[in-house]
Amino acid sequence: MQEDFHYYATYCAAFIAGYTHEECMDICYSAQFVDLCSKSFLSGIGAPLSAATTQLQLELMDVRTDIIGLQDITRIWASFHFLPKDLYAVKKWCSKKYINKYRLICGPNGELLAETVKLAKNTSLQAVGTAMHVLADTWAHMYFAGTPSLVINNTDYYFYELIPEGDGYTEKHISFKHSPKSPDNPDKCFYVGSLYQMNENSIMNLGHGRAGHLPDYSFIHYKYLPAWNGYKEVVKDNPSDYYKAFCQMVYAMKYLRGDIDSFKTDTYAYDEVAPYEGRIKEILNTRQLSVSEDFKKFGEELSGRVIEKFDVNKYKEEYVSSSGNDKDKTFLGKFIIAALSQKSMVTNKIYKSGNRLAGVSVDYKSKGFKGIKDFAKLISLRRNWDE
Amino acid sequence: MNSIQRLMNFFISLAMILGSILMLINPEKGYVVITVILSLGLVFSGIGSILYYFKMARHMVGGKIIFIRGVIVFDLGLFTYSISDIPKIYVLMYLLIIHGFSGLVEILRAIEGKNNGQKRWKLKLSHGVLDFSLALVCLFVIHSVQFTVMIYCFGVFYSALVRMASAFRKTEIVYIQ
Repeated sequence: MQEDFHYYATYCAAFIAGYTHEECMDICYSAQFVDLCSKSFLSGIGAPLSAATTQLQLELMDVRTDIIGLQDITRIWASFHFLPKDLYAVKKWCSKKYINKYRLICGPNGELLAETVKLAKNTSLQAVGTAMHVLADTWAHMYFAGTPSLVINNTDYYFYELIPEGDGYTEKHISFKHSPKSPDNPDKCFYVGSLYQMNENSIMNLGHGRAGHLPDYSFIHYKYLPAWNGYKEVVKDNPSDYYKAFCQMVYAMKYLRGDIDSFKTDTYAYDEVAPYEGRIKEILNTRQLSVSEDFKKFGEELSGRVIEKFDVNKYKEEYVSSSGNDKDKTFLGKFIIAALSQKSMVTNKIYKSGNRLAGVSVDYKSKGFKGIKDFAKLISLRRNWDE
Repeated sequence: MNSIQRLMNFFISLAMILGSILMLINPEKGYVVITVILSLGLVFSGIGSILYYFKMARHMVGGKIIFIRGVIVFDLGLFTYSISDIPKIYVLMYLLIIHGFSGLVEILRAIEGKNNGQKRWKLKLSHGVLDFSLALVCLFVIHSVQFTVMIYCFGVFYSALVRMASAFRKTEIVYIQ
């Protein structure tokens, strides 16, 4: 997903869930910031690098894919953009190495999603925004894994766009080109994808790179053969999936506000969203690469307030000019804590499932402290919350 | 990375440093060693692809191509080894691509770092410029075996240092209270 959904649609969902305009702005800013909080950004403001929630293109080109590098990549992409659906999934006659990657395939309504939403309860609006980014991406990025893997994330020649026509669809073949500077052109079925690399751990095989930006477009409907699915085709209906994502965000935020007692997966706020269903579906089906303007207009009609443009540097100065523990009270400070918490939780769950692809997770209470100190912040803060 | 992998990386780095120094001392023999290394690289890459197919790619749509590639590359490696005299131009092309590409990436990363307010962008930039310059040098020394070996040794030496640094990198342990 991109700015249109993570920023503007998240604003709309938060408003329908009952948040005020100011709260909605903080939530949608945080949801969008997940796509921009890279190590380069954090290094520029002197923040802990372990809080990175994304990697920029150049960072990825530069990254080492040795064990430590792969674990770092997996911690970032599996925690924030490709939340695994089932860490205990079974597939017969597979090596441990294969199954570890297979279990990281992203999908909606997994156990980890419930944990993600619950983790954001009673914390900060930044944590709510982060959780909404993760939730929304489980719908957009399903069938791909947040770790470099040819055997999971590769796509092949069999890739067709399903274009609505009358009561049915016409099929149009999609062939991806590796030309990063050329923009996608839906009218000509021209889409950019990453290069085919036979190396299992090549960065080109991370997430949905091989399928280009298709999973990020709300209007598109396509079918293809995922590398892992034994030659069985998968049909991806983004307008329908994105609508479910929207309704699930409203439901999750109602839970986070305290309007609902417990969060259950596969539950959606269809009734609350019903008055706007036609409008939202119309926006989602608009055949264009970004629907930011449409969601912005819809959001401003809902709240009667102006939704300002996203500015990555908006809270930078506040963080840089704060000192010591005051940094944790700033907007970015709270976001960093939310990011560390999410990464910590997901890494722990992956580690406990017997999978070392996201690295090592240690129970502080029984093992004490080792390694890099960024996560020490989380321990002291959690202790303060408990007290 | 566990302790055995760290130790392995450490000893491989030492071997790479020693190897690059020995090749520098005797460039003529060093050139033969480089060509043997390249052909052995093909052999091991072929074996790696075949093992990768049986371990992972046999579950993948279109995975058989990896098995076929493995067999062809393995065969090519054996063939190259039997010739043992690879034309210098191929070795130079390989060096040119490696240094040119990594130099370009480093320069772009340095510019990005500068824009983000990072302090160490100058070091990255100089590293990138050095790498890119080496690639350019490769273009002008096509006829000199000595320079070819020197540039190759520089690359091996640098990779050894990076590998050794990586062997001592701390594992980032994520804590759960």
